[in-house]
Order: sequence, then C-alpha cells, then structure tokens
Amino acid sequence: MKITFSRKQLAIPYSLVLIIFVILPLLVIGFYALTDATGRFTLANFLNFFTDTNTLGTLFYSFALAFVTTVVCLFIAYPTAYFLASSKWKFKNVVLMIFVMPMWINFTLRITAMKEILNAIEGNLAFYPFLNSVIGLSYDFLPFMILPIYTTLTKLDRSLLEAAKDLGAKDLTAFLKITLPLSIPGIVSGVSMVFLPAMTNYVVLDMLYNSTYIMGSLIGSYFSAYDWHNGSMIALVLLLIICVFTILTNGDAEDANARGGALL
Amino acid sequence: MRKNNLTLKIEKINKKALCLSLALGLLVSGIGFPEKAYAKENDETVTLRVCSWEEYIDEGDWEEDELIELPDADIIGENSLVDDFEEWYYETYGKKVEVEYSCFGTNEELYNMLTIGDVYDLVCPSEYMFMKLMTEGKLVPYSDEFFDESVEENYYAKGVSPFIKRAFEENEINGEKWNRYAAGYMWGVTGFLYNPDVVSKEEVSSWKFMTDPAYKRQITIKDNVRDSLFGAVGAIKSDLLTSEEFVNAEDYHERLFEEMNDMSDETLSEALAFLKEAGNNVYSFETDSGKADMITGKVVANMQWSGDAVYAMDQAEEDDYYLAFQAPMESTNLYFDAWTMLKAGIGEDKEKQHAAEAFVNFLSMPENAVRNMYYIGYTSVISGGESNIILDYIDWAFGAEEDEEDVVDYDLSYFFTEDEDSEDYVLTVPAEQLDRQLGAQYPSEDVIRRSAIMKCFDEETGVKANQMWINVRCFNLADIPVWAFVLGGIIIVGVGFILILNKKQK
Repeated sequence: MKITFSRKQLAIPYSLVLIIFVILPLLVIGFYALTDATGRFTLANFLNFFTDTNTLGTLFYSFALAFVTTVVCLFIAYPTAYFLASSKWKFKNVVLMIFVMPMWINFTLRITAMKEILNAIEGNLAFYPFLNSVIGLSYDFLPFMILPIYTTLTKLDRSLLEAAKDLGAKDLTAFLKITLPLSIPGIVSGVSMVFLPAMTNYVVLDMLYNSTYIMGSLIGSYFSAYDWHNGSMIALVLLLIICVFTILTNGDAEDANARGGALL
Repeated sequence: MRKNNLTLKIEKINKKALCLSLALGLLVSGIGFPEKAYAKENDETVTLRVCSWEEYIDEGDWEEDELIELPDADIIGENSLVDDFEEWYYETYGKKVEVEYSCFGTNEELYNMLTIGDVYDLVCPSEYMFMKLMTEGKLVPYSDEFFDESVEENYYAKGVSPFIKRAFEENEINGEKWNRYAAGYMWGVTGFLYNPDVVSKEEVSSWKFMTDPAYKRQITIKDNVRDSLFGAVGAIKSDLLTSEEFVNAEDYHERLFEEMNDMSDETLSEALAFLKEAGNNVYSFETDSGKADMITGKVVANMQWSGDAVYAMDQAEEDDYYLAFQAPMESTNLYFDAWTMLKAGIGEDKEKQHAAEAFVNFLSMPENAVRNMYYIGYTSVISGGESNIILDYIDWAFGAEEDEEDVVDYDLSYFFTEDEDSEDYVLTVPAEQLDRQLGAQYPSEDVIRRSAIMKCFDEETGVKANQMWINVRCFNLADIPVWAFVLGGIIIVGVGFILILNKKQK
C-alpha cells in the first residue's frame, strides 16, 4: 500500500488537540449550563446570572480590576516599547529580553516574590487588597502588553515619519497622527491579552490576600458546592462576553499579522 | 516533622509535586522490577488505589537523629509507609499488593473527582463527607473479620481509642452507624493558633475574636463554609453557650450539638452579617497560607485545625518562636478523617477488600500511628490497646524533664480507657504545654466536653449555606456606589464607541 502525505494531514495533530481540549469541554460546559440537577433543559441558570446581585457585583469587580490593570500595563508598556523600538541603542535587545524574561518563570513563583516585596513596603498587605491585586496582575501581564506594541512599532514605516517632518509636523503631531494610529493593532492585541485573563486570574488575588471573589473564584465556589450547572453558566456567559470583545477588537488581516507577531 | 522554615515553604509549593512524585515513584517501582511483572502475570498482585489528603502520611526519609526511642520500641521512618505496607502485606499474607497512592486537596474536590468517574478503592474523607457518601450508598461496609479483636493483625479493632470508638458507634446517619463504613484515621478540634506575645488567651477564647477591631487585618480565618460557619454560630450564640446554666445543664452535650448545628434561616442570616463583619476585619480567608503566615509573623492569629496548629507550632519552635493554640469556650468543632471503601472501586472483589482493610490495620499499628503523628502533626485515632507505645510517645514528646519545676498533671483517661477511675493515663507535663502542642494534639477533657460534631448538610441546607458563603465573599451589586456605575457606563460606552469608529474608518 502506498502511503501518501498531503499538507492537510499535518493539521491532524492540531485538530485532535482542538477537539479534545477545546470543542469537547465546551460542549460539556454548554450541557451543564443549560440543564438542571435532574438533567432537564432549563434557562434558569441563565436568568440566575443576570438576577443574582452577587454574580453581577463580581462581574463588576472583575471588570474594574481588569480595566485598571490594563490601563496600568498600557501606560508602562507603551513608552517602554516606543523607546525600545525607536532607539538605536545597542543594548536594546538586552533590555527587551529583561522585560520578557519574567515570562520564562512560573507566575506563582513570581507572585510569591512580589508578595514579600510588597509586604516589606506596606507592612500589612491586607489593607490594600485592590491595589495589591492590580500590582500583581500588572506585573504578571506586562510582557504580554509590551511585546505586541513593540512588534508593531518596529514594523512601522520610518519614511512616513520623515515625510511628516519634511512637511513641517512637530514631533508630537507626528506621533499623534502617525505613530499612535498605526500602533493601534498592537495596543488592541495587548489589551485583549491582558484584560481578559486578568478578569479570571484568581490565583494572583488569593496569593496576595484579596478575599473578594472575581469571576474565576466564583465559578470555583459553585463547583465546590457541587452546583456544576450555575458554575458552567457563569463560565459560558463569560465566554460570550469574551467573544463579543474579540469580535469588536478583531480587525482585518493586518491586525492578525500583528497578533501573530505578538506571540513571539 | 522538624524541618526548617525554608523547607516548609518549598514544601508548600511542591506539595502537589511531592504527592505526584510519590504516586509516580510507586508506579515506576511497580513497572521497573521484573519479578513484580512476573507476579502480575500469575495474577497474584492486588492493586489498591488509595486517595488521601496531601501530606497526610509518613513519607519516610527521616534524619538519623530523629529516631524516637521509646521503652518498647525504637521508631524511625526510613521508607514511606506505603512502601512499608507493601512489604508487610507480602510478609504477612504471602500476597503481593501494589498501592497506587494519590491525593486530594479538599473533601469537595474528592467528591467531584468521584463524580466525574475517578475510581479509588480506599479514600480518607472527613466525617461530613463520608456521611454524604454513606447516604448516597457509595460505600462498602467493613467485614466482620475486621472487628475481630482476637486476630493479631487487626490493629484497628484492637487499638482504636475508646473515645473514638464510642463516637463512631454513637453517631449515625439514616439509621446506619458510622463504624460500619468508616474506620478512623486522624481527628482533632478547631480553634485559634495565636502568638501569645501579642494576643491573650482570653481574647482567643471566644469565636467573637474574629471581629475584634483591636486586631484589624491581623487574623486569618478558614476559606471554607463549614469551618467559618461553625465559628460564626459560636460567636452569635456566645452568651447562651457560655452561660453557666447552659454549661451545667444535664443535657448539655445534646443541646450544644443542637445549637451548633442550628442552620435555621435566622441563624444563617445572623452568621452572614457576622462573617461579613469578620471579612472586613481579618487579614484574609486562607486555604493554604495560614500556617506559613503564622510562622513568619505576618498575622497574629489564625483559625486552624489542631493538627495543622501542631505542625505550625513545631515549625515556629525551630526558630525559638513560640505559638499557642486555644479552642474557644463556646464550642469547638470535633472532626474525624476516616478510611472508607468505595463500591465503585472494591465492588465484590474480596481480595481487594482484604488488602484495603489490611492497609487500615497497618496504619493503625501503634508504631506507624506514631510515625504519622510525628510526621504530620495530626492526632491518630489509635490509643494502642494493650500496647503502651502511644502513651509512651506522648510522654516522650511532651512529658516534663525530671528537674522541671512548673509542671502539672494532665489526664488523658478519656482517650485511653473506659475505666473512669484509672490513674494510669495521667502524665506530668510542663504547664506551658497545655496551651501548646500537647493541648492541641491531645485536647484536655474540658475541651472535649465542649466539642460538637458538625452534621452533614442536607441538600436544602447545603444550598442555603453555600449561598450565604457566596454572599460573604462576593462584591455585591448593591455595594457599588452610584458614581461607579456612571463611570463604568461611560467607560464601556466610550471604549465601544472608539472601537466601532475605528472599524468604520478602515
């Protein structure tokens, strides 16, 4: 028998991973979300999500936390990426590596170290749970914001800036009219990689002694109370929110390129 | 487990990894040796799938100077008890057994693991969880032979403490006694682990301590509904529970049990208010960090299980830092972890059941109970029966030196004997030990008198209690100020607008 290889076959491993670890779990979540304890179809869990003030409050808190984290990351990452991308400094790759290096270390170890540092500064961590969570999450996710922005900025066509200067634009005007708009794909990509995980990363909150539930911990608490149905529904609704967010931010092919670059 | 702080911290991180490596090690050792493979072919090897708490069994590797020299035995943990069991089983019964040991983190996690279809033969849940498993008919009863005290290898039946035995006989669910399905392993009470230099014993003698503003952000409490609820019920009923009339009542024990298990809507809503207040006062709700934070001095008190308290006190002592433990006066939660056999795993397989019961018996050998206690800090249910090893161990660990001055008599008769007049179980101990490891590992009779078992929630109560807990922990929509709503709205609309505009431009 003659065995022929085609390019399509190369997709088999990934398809398997996709089916086993993405599609099937999604179906299971969907099943639990739309059934009650007796296995019958119900929309009660869905209604629960939007009528339970705890769930909505938690959603709000997660949003607030993720939003502040994203803004902090953006304000640190953009200037850093801008400086690194535009400078001709020969050590800039080293500096970039230093920023990216934390990604190579497990985040629980990093947060443990961060905890000790914060503890030394603040004395008692428990007085500033929100602030600590923002610091921890920002530290955790900063590389994910720097890299995509850096990638888009290095790809930026320098001649556009030269043209702007020739036409008499000041530095600031050139930045606002050219650099910033052209780096938006990178920003969007960075934001989506920081904002969404920050909404559910409850381990960081736990480790930094923030006892308020965010979406991740709320789902967990439903599961440990054996209520898989409401837990799954919260996960599902969260997923829908993420989908809407992604559709809103997902632009054309150019953006996709930027995103590809973002993954190193 | 006298190890230094650094090892403790590393262990914390590696807890799961350790457990995994133990499991893997056993697996590999099972695969690695040809003679075992040969035995397998002859169908002689029984595989026993055990699932227990993380770090809840002696894993061996003690230093040589950790040798425990008792009058009747010298005890040291060279290999893990799991390996020792496999060897012992072969020597005793001439059959090979292979233990697949795995771990769980919480009772609820274990239950979910069983629900999604993980199969184990022998598991070690706490009393409320094995009661739940009992009512659901998921357990296999122990065989009659297991309770036959005339058999030499029946170390559990021969050695279990009369106090524990009574608890397992008197407590029942749906008309079935605990002891039919569950054989005790470790037990303890709940209370506060505290730093006596900062906090006084009187202060931690009430569950109301959780809301004490003098220690704002300096106390950690347990991050689970049952332990926190027990404390909250104790606190809101404090006046009643500590009143002389109540304490001296003839039916004190029954009434205490009723009060502590009162899960009426009224109690739950008061508990909610109390825990909300506590939540705003404490350092945090902790799952794992409690011990380490006490040892490093981050917090001054920690709601804790007596076994973990012992462990923390041992660790702290390494650095000449002394912690103490106190079970509040209102009541303390008496809990048991017990070995239960699962229908899904054991089924009708008598050989397997024999191995499972032998495993329980092996762990109940007084020497092995001592190894476990020394290693994990919890208190074994074994009092040793005719063997003196357990009592000798307590004396070895806590007994007063001959030249010590401030000593007291400590009566542990309730644990060791049914003979109320016996004087054989009175130890002479340093007075300070009453508030330390000894008082936590072997609570005094007074503490036991005010202890109460917490029932397994029925489905309706469970839902209500969990809802209460979510109310405690969540940021409620009603707590959000109006300006935050407006700001949030503006941000969302703004971001959405920019995104849509941006798209249209392209």
